[in-house]
Amino acid sequence: MFRLGYLARKLAILALTLLAVATFNFILFRVLPGNPIQLQARAGNLSPEAIQRLREIYGLDQPLISQYFIYLRDVFTGQFGMSITYQRPVVDIIAERMLNTLILLSAATVLVIVLGIGLGIVAAARRGSRIDSSVVVGALVFWSLPTFWTGLILIFIFGAFLNVLPVSGTSTPGVDFTSPIASLADLARHLVLPTITLALVDIGQFVVITRSSLVDVLTEDYILTAKAKGLSRRQVVWRHGVRNALLPVVTTTALYVGLTIGGAIQVETVFSWPGMGALMYDAVLRRDYPILEATFFIFALVVIAANFVSDLLYQVLDPRVREA
Amino acid sequence: MRGQSSGTTSRRMTAVLAALVLLVAACSSSSTTAPSAAASLGPSATSGGSAAASQGPTSAPTPSQATLKVGWLSEPDTLNPLTTYSTEAEEVLQLVYDKLLGYGLDLKLEPELASSFAYSSDGKSITFHLQPNAKWSDGQAVTSADVKYTYEEIHKDSLGQYAQWLTDLVGVDTPDPMTAVVNFSAPQAFNPGLTIPILPMHIWSSMSAKEIGTFANPTPIGSGPFTLVEWKKAESITLNRSPSFWGTPAIAAKVVFVHYTNADVEAQALKNGDVDILTEVPPTVFDGLTGAANIKAVSMPSFSFHHIGINVSTAPGSKGNPLLKNKSIRQALSYALDRNQLVQLALAGHGKPGNSIIPAGLTDWHWEPTAAQLMDANPAKANALLDAAGYTARNSDGVRTTSSGTPLEFRLIAIATTTVDVRAAQLFQNDAMAVGIKLDLTTLDENTLGSTVYNATAPNWDIFVWGWDLGVPDPDYMLGVPLCSQIGGNNDVFFCDKGYDALYAQQATTIDPVARKVITDQMQQQYYQDAAYLVMWYQDKLQAYRTDTWTGWTPVTGGMVFNFTRDNYLKVAPLK
Repeated sequence: MFRLGYLARKLAILALTLLAVATFNFILFRVLPGNPIQLQARAGNLSPEAIQRLREIYGLDQPLISQYFIYLRDVFTGQFGMSITYQRPVVDIIAERMLNTLILLSAATVLVIVLGIGLGIVAAARRGSRIDSSVVVGALVFWSLPTFWTGLILIFIFGAFLNVLPVSGTSTPGVDFTSPIASLADLARHLVLPTITLALVDIGQFVVITRSSLVDVLTEDYILTAKAKGLSRRQVVWRHGVRNALLPVVTTTALYVGLTIGGAIQVETVFSWPGMGALMYDAVLRRDYPILEATFFIFALVVIAANFVSDLLYQVLDPRVREA
Repeated sequence: MRGQSSGTTSRRMTAVLAALVLLVAACSSSSTTAPSAAASLGPSATSGGSAAASQGPTSAPTPSQATLKVGWLSEPDTLNPLTTYSTEAEEVLQLVYDKLLGYGLDLKLEPELASSFAYSSDGKSITFHLQPNAKWSDGQAVTSADVKYTYEEIHKDSLGQYAQWLTDLVGVDTPDPMTAVVNFSAPQAFNPGLTIPILPMHIWSSMSAKEIGTFANPTPIGSGPFTLVEWKKAESITLNRSPSFWGTPAIAAKVVFVHYTNADVEAQALKNGDVDILTEVPPTVFDGLTGAANIKAVSMPSFSFHHIGINVSTAPGSKGNPLLKNKSIRQALSYALDRNQLVQLALAGHGKPGNSIIPAGLTDWHWEPTAAQLMDANPAKANALLDAAGYTARNSDGVRTTSSGTPLEFRLIAIATTTVDVRAAQLFQNDAMAVGIKLDLTTLDENTLGSTVYNATAPNWDIFVWGWDLGVPDPDYMLGVPLCSQIGGNNDVFFCDKGYDALYAQQATTIDPVARKVITDQMQQQYYQDAAYLVMWYQDKLQAYRTDTWTGWTPVTGGMVFNFTRDNYLKVAPLK
């Protein structure tokens, strides 16, 4: 299906991009003012001897160029070194946080994509109707709302006023669950508000892109032909319209998945969700280089991989791209 | 842990001195100055404490099965006491580990792992007698060898924040398993027993200093009233009551610390009953909790202050404005500053105007300027000082200038996320402009401000706004910040005065509290009048708890929790 040369070229570009990103990350955090030992040394009134030991432990006593090669080795062996703040391997820390982010985002992403595309199709199929304008206006309004504000309002309604849903964390603290099912049910309850917040805010882009793409397609001559053949409206929209309108939606989805892995920083903050976004935010404030380098590298990796996959999907979906 | 406070995450300083708080109370009317008096007071002071500990079981309610839930806005960095820098870690660790001595709810000394202690007549040795039935949570007995290992290892490898209290350590003798004699090369006004957690030798002694430096201590073995069950990272920490604790067991069966990343949501969680007490409540949120159903919001004095620091560095590479080395300008800024307005507008009234670097909450040690000495909200006096110093000319903007035309214009930096500081900086700009001094405000993140300020060889800044949390009832640590030897260390304005340094050394070895107070007062006055540090306010410690879940919270200067006493955790009882 794919020509080998095409694939090899793509992969080579991908590898080069990753190396560039890794290098950029290394430089970026080191030109930031501040350093990871600074406030620790002040806070602990450390002796020069203790500060020197810290610098040795985290390799900060090495010349920059050696630090760079140690860092590259760590990145490409997937080790990422030790966190300066938490004094634990970065891999372990990221694994804990990544799991939480994936739980939150997979729930939200599925909801956003399915509902967003569905609503976009409904709006386009009934272009100009009251349903169309309600869907589009609603999607745009929620898209424009600040995420943290939407989250706080939901907390106010469901957490404070109705008091029916938990407002923070992934589980009810201090409770010993009797069974894995009870524990999962508790997690599900904690997922409700952050998921709805993410869905409300993010659904707009899918609605709008799906709608406009499908509206374009539905004005094509072959749609007229399909209608003239006497196909039902459903068949016209789904079989002839949606499939051809999906191309921009695939791109949007790839970008969306890539970007959201970065953690929905605002949602994670409002709902005290222990995910990647919160980890990265703290790491910036503390200049925890190993965590920063690892998280930024992983985000870059996911974005690049998602784009790679969407390139390949284009080949499947659109014969014209295949020919090119 | 000690350090610069950002206002949201406070860092407590473990600057603890000897039994002196107690001694002040015990002999404030006495004029005794001989160290031998302190020596004899040592054991008698603790006998009261150990009696209280043994009385416990008769009066204490029986241990419950209830869970106490504490909400906070940050979480520990690590559970290794020798590498942590966070207040949250210290809060957890003080429930898991014992020190030799601790603080009660009155912030007076009480026994922990040591049932009693005595100073030698020269003040250079302290003999601690250990609790006979103390055990590590893995079942091994606590002995004087553990004390010896902990102290000597911290001293030998200069480990973490505790090393500063053991700089004069000579060694620890262990005449028997229940007795540890800690020997110093100089008299110690400060008793390190009040601050250093005792670690189990059988767990730690196999590690090198470097290994300790990267040891996460995931399952701490301590001798304290609780043991760690689980740390769900960035979410919650669960402790269980220790069955092997030597003292009166806690009434709470579990303590759970719950992490929130948003103060409004945390307050809502308290209202919903998800947690029982909050460690820190921002002023704006505090007012919203006052009067809420089943909630008591408590305002207590703290051991913290926020201040304006002025660069007086004499380093050749200093890029600070040289005009600020003129004390008249610094004093004029201090006179111009309306501290009461800062408290009302920046702090929403939750604090009191400040002056000395020893907060008013530290009542036994705070020095208060007389009305004549007070520099505050007096623009007339500020103008008079500037006029007298020759800065009478003004440029077209109304800013005073030197005779050569250089304007009195300085850079001012503050931490962007510490909103109280930013607001204070803006008010300070107005106050300064009213006397013809222009301040240009830039806000930075804390780490950037830290590395800008603490650049001892080439500080490129003029004035900053920041804060300190003392957190313990002793002046030693804070008075040690302005030392010449701390330039390159904690001395953030680069003040240096040999006379001040001499006084510091003198107070550190003066065991009699009355004599020591004379010296510490003199130091506070000198530093106040030098006006390199303009203390703005002593903020209140704001906390809130539910009144329908647990009872028996005792307000303490510095906070019911998140303080140097762990006793509220042990003594509160469930209502249902």
